[in-house]
Amino acid sequence: MNTQPIVTISDLTVKYGDKTVLYDVSTNVPRSEIRVILGSSGCGKTTLLKSIIGLIKPYSGTVTLFGTVMGDPDSPETGELLKKIGVLFQNGALLGSLTVAENLALPLQMHTGLSQDIIDEIVQLKLTQVDLPHAGELFPGELSGGMRKRAALARALVLDPPLIFCDEPSAGLDPVTSAGLDELLLKLRDILGITIVVVTHELLSIEKISDSIIFLHKGHVLFDGLFEDARKLESGPIRDFFDRKESREADSESNNTASFTVESK
Amino acid sequence: MSGLKQEAKSTIPADTIVFPDMVSRQWVENNLELLRERPRRNLYFDCAKTASIDSAGVSFIHMLQSSHRKAGYDVILRNISGELLSTIKKWGKAAHFESEGGQDNRSVFLKAGDKAVETKNYLIDALSMLVEILYWSGPGLLKKRDYRKGVLGEQMFHLGYQAVGIVLLLSFLIGLVIAWQSAIQLRTFGAGVLLAPMVGWGMIREFGPLMTAIILAARTGSATTAEIATMSVGEEIDALQTMGINPVQFVVMPKFWAITITMPALSMLASAIGILAGLFVAVTYLDVSANVFFSELFSFTRFKDFVVGFCKAVVFAWLIIWIGSYYGFTVKGGAEQVGRGTTACVVTTISVIILADAVFSFI
Repeated sequence: MNTQPIVTISDLTVKYGDKTVLYDVSTNVPRSEIRVILGSSGCGKTTLLKSIIGLIKPYSGTVTLFGTVMGDPDSPETGELLKKIGVLFQNGALLGSLTVAENLALPLQMHTGLSQDIIDEIVQLKLTQVDLPHAGELFPGELSGGMRKRAALARALVLDPPLIFCDEPSAGLDPVTSAGLDELLLKLRDILGITIVVVTHELLSIEKISDSIIFLHKGHVLFDGLFEDARKLESGPIRDFFDRKESREADSESNNTASFTVESK
Repeated sequence: MSGLKQEAKSTIPADTIVFPDMVSRQWVENNLELLRERPRRNLYFDCAKTASIDSAGVSFIHMLQSSHRKAGYDVILRNISGELLSTIKKWGKAAHFESEGGQDNRSVFLKAGDKAVETKNYLIDALSMLVEILYWSGPGLLKKRDYRKGVLGEQMFHLGYQAVGIVLLLSFLIGLVIAWQSAIQLRTFGAGVLLAPMVGWGMIREFGPLMTAIILAARTGSATTAEIATMSVGEEIDALQTMGINPVQFVVMPKFWAITITMPALSMLASAIGILAGLFVAVTYLDVSANVFFSELFSFTRFKDFVVGFCKAVVFAWLIIWIGSYYGFTVKGGAEQVGRGTTACVVTTISVIILADAVFSFI
């Protein structure tokens, strides 16, 4: 079995203008594993994900997918790489002017020479996989939040990619729908051997699906390893995150910023 | 306690302001003049009776403190409980920073410099968009073709066919107005036969392309910006990119080709209907027959006039798509920004079209 990591990130630094959002992030994602990127809001999770899939150009460092370095989005090499990945965006990002079936058919029409009847068959198969067999003719605006996420997942899977990225799949979903989506991700890993990178801060989800985690804090990787090992940490931002506590560091910062002249009683 | 200074108890002035039980919005409303006064001395507040404070109270204290410290004075809170002080410090943090960051005290030269750099960046982005559109309309086609089947027909229907009615109506009215105003003058000089070349020349070279462009700027330009901006805000553009589909080629180019084909056709229709309006005025008001009208029209109108009208239509069409796409791709944020982008697109497009029309007049 090929043990080479599917995703390798080396010294990735990302800046928005003068503001550095990610500092020298290095990690990798092994084959057929669910890797969770977590951290509190604003720590750089989504930026890291967008840098991996080529939506944000890094300031320095490289992202390697399947042994090929991601480059110019319009280059043939990157085009080939993008066919091997699927992305589930936070709000689904289905094209609003197309039906669900047309959304799913789009990557097949663009990247394959298959005839329309085979494309229709594949689309129906994928919709059935995500438990939406009758949603093909609906427009994204007619779907509920959970249905939209599942339809978007079906689109991400339509080219049978060996690697998928999910940006906050549970965001805005009720616990039952969220658990259903987690089950679906586990099935994809176990049955189809798909490698999955998930950005989330839902503790229940992380506990259930993660093989390993990367914990980001203010743009730095604080922890890279097994979820169980991270749970054993007794102090620091990771412990605070698991205990759902406001970071002590942030608290002390707030105390230092505002000073008042007082006269005590 | 960190960051706090102890004030000597012996220097308490007589004009110490006593805070009530609750420093509420109402209390702040009644004491707003304190904020407006120029700080001239330390301001003392007695908080002995105060048990609670709301957001307005916290913001009030932070703003007072900020203005006084800038002037070299201070706000001193007497007999304040630890709990109340903690509330003011914790909940006032955001407001405090906002009030400090909200004022731009930089010199006018720095502000002008920043504006110049910002404008330069806008222009670079806009030119990059134009280059990308031109690239995908020519050499890029050899590289990849991210089109959906039948999309060009769809776009030609939306951009062209659906605009026929409004273009015909407005062009007829414009033709009628021009012909009528000209006819009154021409009749005075007994030169009614010249109405045909006057209206024909005006419609073919000027008003046909210009009216069509203004109508399409409002219809197609705004729709292009709104569509792309909504896709951008909803991460649909990102989704296209991750599917290996070039967003400019997928979203913009079908509109580009559709408008390039339909705009000259619409412009010709607009010219024709405007000329018919001229014919109507010539026959009913100037007693010029249709035969004479057309004979005068064809003898004065040159092939060059059609070429100029055609070129204008194509250039205006490209301007509409270019500016519409540029505003669409640059919108960030939510629904309000989409609306602003759309308005800016229509205003800019119509201005640039009129400017381009003026440039054409000198060519």
